Amino acid sequence: MSKHWENLKTVYVRERFLVVSNVAVMTVTFLVLGFFLSTAVGMQTAIRTLEEQAQITLFFKDEYLEADILALKEKLIGDERVLSTRYISKEEAFDIFTDINRDEPILLEAISKDILPASLEIRAAKLVELTNLATEFESIEGVEEVKFFKDIVDRFRQWANIVYIVGGTLVLIFVGLSFAVVMSTLRLTINSKGDEIEIMKLVGANDDYVKKPLLFQGVFFGLLSSFIASVLILIIFTSVHFFGIFGATSVLVLVPGVKIASWLFLIILVVLLLLFGGGLGYLGSHTAIKKYLKY
Amino acid sequence: MPQIEFKNIVKEYEPGNKVLDNVSFTIDAGEFVFLVGPSGVGKSTLVKLLIREEIPNEGEVLFDGLSELEVAEGMETSLVSSPTSVNVPDLPYERLPELRRRIGVVFQDFKVLKSKNVFENVAVALEVGGASENEIREVVPNVLSLVGLAEMIEKFPKELSGGEIQRLSIARALAHEPDVLVADEPTGMIDPKSTEEVVRVLDKINSLGTTVLMATHDNTIVDSMKKRVLRIEEGKIVSDKEGGKYSE
Repeated sequence: MSKHWENLKTVYVRERFLVVSNVAVMTVTFLVLGFFLSTAVGMQTAIRTLEEQAQITLFFKDEYLEADILALKEKLIGDERVLSTRYISKEEAFDIFTDINRDEPILLEAISKDILPASLEIRAAKLVELTNLATEFESIEGVEEVKFFKDIVDRFRQWANIVYIVGGTLVLIFVGLSFAVVMSTLRLTINSKGDEIEIMKLVGANDDYVKKPLLFQGVFFGLLSSFIASVLILIIFTSVHFFGIFGATSVLVLVPGVKIASWLFLIILVVLLLLFGGGLGYLGSHTAIKKYLKY
Repeated sequence: MPQIEFKNIVKEYEPGNKVLDNVSFTIDAGEFVFLVGPSGVGKSTLVKLLIREEIPNEGEVLFDGLSELEVAEGMETSLVSSPTSVNVPDLPYERLPELRRRIGVVFQDFKVLKSKNVFENVAVALEVGGASENEIREVVPNVLSLVGLAEMIEKFPKELSGGEIQRLSIARALAHEPDVLVADEPTGMIDPKSTEEVVRVLDKINSLGTTVLMATHDNTIVDSMKKRVLRIEEGKIVSDKEGGKYSE
């Protein structure tokens, strides 16, 4: 092992610029990958959160009695397309309004609890049912207005898809680029050592003897780059959390149905990046060496 | 049974351009053989075929040097021409290191490692074969002493003369105690005095039992040594004489 470290030191001393630029490109790749994965998980979380919000809100006319609304609520609970319902009386609506606008005394003075309508918040079992349900609700007697968030969810989905596609493409490009850079760097190293490798092969070295130090280099540079990227990501996320944008205890949706704490996500992200870094380093150097062993 | 046998060898680097055309000859263990002829007639190709740097288009290169165990481990029975003789082009890739440890090679351009000193240059040949440090410390001074470089153990190639560098490359080729030493134009890049030293070393090695095959176009050496001379011209063996001369 100490021999591998010695080789690594020699490579750094001889080809410092090459090593630094290679590590820099790979670090950028892993940063992009890290941010893409974080964005994907963030988007997933946002979509799930949106879906879990009240999806349809029915506002009732003032003359429609609470007893009628509650009767309607009971009826809707029996509908399999409806997941849950929540009644918000005029009083509760006023309390919510007051809470939201507690810093706006003038506004609060102008509004009395009679002005705000009673409402029913309804969650549909499936997002695809939203439009049908909303149309049906509009025809119910006593309903003044139906609001639902289909458009917002749809638009958000569209953006999320764009982010997935663009981000995914960027990551693929960077992974390809990084793979090419690792290979080119190692090829340059191998070229500079070409005579040595040829001589070693001619005096009876087997492939492993020639390959091992170069694979070690590839894995080391891959791990180093992904480690730097991980540290940068942790610093950025911690700073974002410090400014209150990203809560350390907030729950993220890793994949649909799996929720994890954000700190756990960061650990998974770092482990993934390190694995990817080591793997890419190994694969890149393995491919680069292969070409030079065929004599 | 001969130690080396080239059997009906045809080699083309480009289609239709035969560098070697139906070449056949044998070399027995312990022989010293000169392979002579003008530049570009296929001498180096024969050397490359023997250590499988190249593969022939037709024919067999038989080598009787790998032990039965090595042969049995690495090759299918059908590839083995006799109990211990192997057809080099059929040798599995992973068995090449063994072949190359049984056939030491000395090149015209030395192929020594410039960043390593004399001791390390020889040691590397043993290292790649998995020799222990003790073994390396024991063997390296012995082979360096055999080629007359015992006093230069710490020196780097740039501090040596052409002849000394070539003797260093001979020492490296001998580190594994090979059965055969192949020298491809070993004196092509050194002065006459150094040439004498190198040839003397090769003769000494041969007298200790190692088969020597030397490709050269240096007529002075060939004429003075009175060894077996194989003459190759336009890809064919045109003469094969014991105690021959360059021009015969």
